[in-house]
Amino acid sequence: MVEPLQAALRAASSALEAQSTRIRVVSENVANAHSTGATPGDDPYRRKTISFGEELARAEGVRTVAVRSIGRDPTAFRSVHDPGHPAADQRGFVKLPNVDPILELADLREANRSYQANVQVVRQTRELFTLTIDLLKA
Amino acid sequence: MVPLALSLLASSQARWLAARQKTIAENVAQSDTPGFRAADLKPFSEVLNRTGLGMAATNAGHIVDANRFDKAIVKRDAHSWDITHSGNTVSLDEQMLKSSEVHRAYALNNAISRAFSRMMTASVKA
Repeated sequence: MVEPLQAALRAASSALEAQSTRIRVVSENVANAHSTGATPGDDPYRRKTISFGEELARAEGVRTVAVRSIGRDPTAFRSVHDPGHPAADQRGFVKLPNVDPILELADLREANRSYQANVQVVRQTRELFTLTIDLLKA
Repeated sequence: MVPLALSLLASSQARWLAARQKTIAENVAQSDTPGFRAADLKPFSEVLNRTGLGMAATNAGHIVDANRFDKAIVKRDAHSWDITHSGNTVSLDEQMLKSSEVHRAYALNNAISRAFSRMMTASVKA
């Protein structure tokens, strides 16, 4: 069992790590929003999803957050008519990734907000440390 | 002795506040975990008046259970401000408000401790 303020910092830092992984996944999705297959009828990029879970760091007695799984979104691909494309099938249709930029941006915003909240917790906790240390100056 | 009782009270409140800050940090960290229920501590007055099985320190040399406030955790905070579709009950606004409340109380606690220690020093010098 560590000191509670140290434990608070530990929880906040685990969340910072988890949220930055989430931001990474979102940016991978946005970057690959137009990644089609290379050969006719080939599947394009499939959107990635991320899920968090609770973890208990027993030695420290603190509940941290960790990435539970990075999965693939099973929704259908979009399809556009583009006969000149290398990945076009016999009917001239090309499958595009199931990435929705609006959804990704909303997710990015939420991850950002959570990240900021955790940074704020770190700041507050550090302030409490400083207050305690300042007692020595009395 | 009265003066020592005050510093004991101040230090146990500081410990309670630190434990509360830890609980808030855990809540904020889990703000995007599906199904997580926000937790909080029981009020300090309630914890202080508790006649539990905690170790009693009747002498300055006795060991005190430093982390006993961890046991004051209310697992499910029924008064949480909102609940999301995934069953998560952490409201970031609420947690931030609580965190600043902790900060204010901690600053007050420290100021009192400091004033008190100055008083003691003054009386010793005289």
